[in-house]
Amino acid sequence: MAAQHSQGIQTLLEAEKEAAKIVQQARQYRVQKLKDARSQASKEIEEYKAAKEAEFQSFEDSRAGTTSNAQSAIDRETEVKLQQITDLYETNKDAVVKKLLDRVILVEPELHRNLKKVEA
Amino acid sequence: MSTRALNDEEVLAEMGKMVAFIKQEALEKAREIKVKADEEFAIEKAKLVKQEQQAIDAQHEKKRKAAEVAQKIAQSNLTNKSRLKLLHRREEHIQDLFSTGRTSILTLAQDQGRYRQFLEGVIVQGFLQLLEPAATLHARKSDVSIVEQAASNAAAVYKQISGRVVDFKVEGTLSNDGAGGIKLISGTQRITVDNTLDERLRLLEDRMLPEIRKDVFGVNPNRKFYT
Repeated sequence: MAAQHSQGIQTLLEAEKEAAKIVQQARQYRVQKLKDARSQASKEIEEYKAAKEAEFQSFEDSRAGTTSNAQSAIDRETEVKLQQITDLYETNKDAVVKKLLDRVILVEPELHRNLKKVEA
Repeated sequence: MSTRALNDEEVLAEMGKMVAFIKQEALEKAREIKVKADEEFAIEKAKLVKQEQQAIDAQHEKKRKAAEVAQKIAQSNLTNKSRLKLLHRREEHIQDLFSTGRTSILTLAQDQGRYRQFLEGVIVQGFLQLLEPAATLHARKSDVSIVEQAASNAAAVYKQISGRVVDFKVEGTLSNDGAGGIKLISGTQRITVDNTLDERLRLLEDRMLPEIRKDVFGVNPNRKFYT
């Protein structure tokens, strides 16, 4: 009887041990999963970051193109306007110089308006 | 329930059931743990990723804004430079015009008739500004004789306009490099009226700038206020 008992208990103890092993494996799985979470998350983050950087870079490149276009467009416009200014000057300068000279010698002497002529 | 002792077969059967039960419990517990682990894994991963994504987005937004501002600044700089170039060119032309004027007035004195008339007018104007009983007329050495003539006519006109008498002296002290005209100094040496051609031209250059601008370059389309 005693031998049977101890055999029975042995079997049960082994069963418990097996059970504990199963649970332990599950716990290890959990720990591993948490580590995986961190590493997978950082991988995803890296991918996201790279994608964003690429997007920003292409945005920058397109902008750089428009900047240099704007520069040359403005330069051309400015050249045209400068030429217009010089042309206007050439057309009008003689008339204006004449106007200046005419006014230089134009004299209209007047008595100050607050004064009256002194009658001798 | 029967309370008799179990025989061997029944014992084995019971043992088997107990073992199976223990194993079953373990498996269920293990499954629970695994399911929970998967859930936590998903939540944790999502949280981390979202956190970092937000940080990255914020960074990029800042960079983008900074780039936009920089571009606006660059654009504004370009238009500014362009406007300055235009202004510079206009200024150059105006200065050129004035220097042409300055060389041209040197020829004015050659037309004797007009010059004499001009001198007379200018002397009367000077007398009327001074309103003094005595004045010294400074002229170019080459003009002294013309000026003396013009001055006596001028004194008569002055008396006619203001009823006042003036006693004048002519001195040939102005440099011959000047264009001509008269500098009057009152008898007490305290008042000077510079009525030379050079000074008159200078004053005109200054006062006439708006008119000159309009005549040479046209009206400014951006201007909104005129006094």
